[in-house]
Amino acid sequence: MAEATHGTGGLKYDHSKRKRPQEFNVLIALVLIVATFEILGQVLPYMEGQSLLFDTGDRFDTIFNEARLRIIILQVAIVGIIALGVTQVIITGGIDLSSGSVVGFTAMVAMSFAQVAEVNGMANPRAIFLDQGWVNLPVVVPVAVGLCVGVFAGLINGSLIAYTGIPPFIATLGMMVSARGAASWWTRGQPVSFPTEGYAAIGAGMMPVVWFLLLAVLFHIVMRYTVYGKHTYAIGSNIDAARMSGINVKRHLTLVYSIAGMLAAVAAIVLSAKNLTAQAGMGIMYELDAIAMAVIGGVSLQGGRGSIIGTVLGALIFGVIISGFTYLKLDAYYQEMVKGAIIVGAVVLDQWRQRRNADRV
Amino acid sequence: MKTTLIAATALASLVSTSAMAETIGVSMARFDDNFLTVLRNGMIETAAEMDDVDLQVEDATSDVAKQLNQIKNFIASGVDAMIVNPVDTSATQAITNAAQSAGVPLVYVNRQPVNVDTLPDNQAFVGSNEVESGTLAAFEACKMLRAQGKSNGAKGYMLMGKLSNQAAVQRSQDVRDIVGISMCNFIDLIDEQSAEWSRNMAQDQMTNWLSSGEDFDVVFSNNDEMAIGAIQAMKASGISMDDVVVTGVDATQDALLSMAAGDLDVTVFQDAAGQGSGALDAALALANGEDVNQKVYIPFKLVTPDNMQSFMDEN
Repeated sequence: MAEATHGTGGLKYDHSKRKRPQEFNVLIALVLIVATFEILGQVLPYMEGQSLLFDTGDRFDTIFNEARLRIIILQVAIVGIIALGVTQVIITGGIDLSSGSVVGFTAMVAMSFAQVAEVNGMANPRAIFLDQGWVNLPVVVPVAVGLCVGVFAGLINGSLIAYTGIPPFIATLGMMVSARGAASWWTRGQPVSFPTEGYAAIGAGMMPVVWFLLLAVLFHIVMRYTVYGKHTYAIGSNIDAARMSGINVKRHLTLVYSIAGMLAAVAAIVLSAKNLTAQAGMGIMYELDAIAMAVIGGVSLQGGRGSIIGTVLGALIFGVIISGFTYLKLDAYYQEMVKGAIIVGAVVLDQWRQRRNADRV
Repeated sequence: MKTTLIAATALASLVSTSAMAETIGVSMARFDDNFLTVLRNGMIETAAEMDDVDLQVEDATSDVAKQLNQIKNFIASGVDAMIVNPVDTSATQAITNAAQSAGVPLVYVNRQPVNVDTLPDNQAFVGSNEVESGTLAAFEACKMLRAQGKSNGAKGYMLMGKLSNQAAVQRSQDVRDIVGISMCNFIDLIDEQSAEWSRNMAQDQMTNWLSSGEDFDVVFSNNDEMAIGAIQAMKASGISMDDVVVTGVDATQDALLSMAAGDLDVTVFQDAAGQGSGALDAALALANGEDVNQKVYIPFKLVTPDNMQSFMDEN
């Protein structure tokens, strides 16, 4: 394995020197959290010995509570898709605050081109382009339009950051506000509902999970084995060194933000297809959940460190926590408080571990 | 058509320069809420039909401080009256004080201000009594369950809106009150969780509940969007919608079509456009120095499959 090259082209990354992969720690955290919920299920008297992951009522063929396993990943799949892009942005040392708003705007636009003409024999009351006759279109139209919107938003983010030199925080904050405004402007705040069957199929059942995992595998390969991935890590590790070594940093940053925008658009399409509606308020706070997933998964906000696998595990931790709270019937008021504490706790642990590793060298 | 009309109206209000026109400043709690959008458009359309009324509509984006600044800006630019859809119903005294000291008439719309009983003479409230909505829906669900012969015991879940929102707190309390009365205390609430008014979060929450495998007979939801989310989750799990009573509030288009498909059982109509035009009328009357009723309640109406047809063109 010592032969494998990672980091910038030409630099050799010696795997044997590494104690254990970052992702392994995240996996341990995931197992510990699951174990905590299982123990609470046994210990708390009102839980009557229920289990989070295992089938205690003999409802499924396997030993697992399959319904719970499905929802754990289903409920984080859509934000997870965004997190795949956000991970790449954070690895470059940047941040993307605009993804939630881009989801809102893209969902509105894409759904407008995915509507049916008639619902239950009545004219679709929500149809935006009924007069123009742009209804019952093939599914490729809304998908293509949606992806273009996302890439365009990302392109603006990336170009602003790369060519004007303003901090990513500011550039994407501007997009966050503008795109949310655009989402409301598109239909003056009216929801856009009732898509074609073809469009609805994109988000039906477990399809969000399929998209999430497919894209995770794709970007895992891209980040680990391609020049694109190496350049992304290089820029995040040391932007000056990356520039000196001949990487076109500006062009590459623009590309990374465009891909993040495209992934936000994919999330928007899957989300609106799953819900059979698009609304201007969709995706609020998704950017923060996506960033939290990446950070919990070990992606460093300083850049240069982290991986797609880590982010997927971070997303799963999120999913386990949400389902675990419901399973414990924990009062809604406490859930957000605990979630916030877990995010901060994950970063504190990560910092502590990094310092300890640094001391050892 | 509607969109074009609204766009034209907005444009017209931008370029309108008539010196004689009454200018009304409007501060809405948020633009991205379905119900408040219908209310806002009701106001804009009513104003468009009048020759000499200019509306300046601003979005407070759920920010109390921003709303107060908008109101002070309206006062500074000399509006004839203001319509405020308060972000926080307990923070309205500051708004009332600002308007009163400047002598500008003020009408609160949709959300009942905490100081509704002590408003000065040139201020008023137009809205609906929130206690009605949750109560109407929950009581109808209770009757439906009895009619299905489940009066010897039924279980239910409740989906709540954002917990910082007065309507969510009130509607949830209404449901708890109803399942507390002797006629409906056969209903046992298994769990109540917030899905923040969102269809997507409600869908996931419902799927989480379904994964525990507990049987249930009714889902109370604080609004239609969450009710639809719950329905989508139940259908995806193969539950027949004949076996579960689902309630919502708002009577949105999406909800009425869901009801037509036999999925949603109960919703409650709140006359958004009526509240909007009612508020505008009150503001104009106050601007002209006329007396108005300081509390105008526009009633909620129960919507079930029997009478849903008459609400199809409303919200």
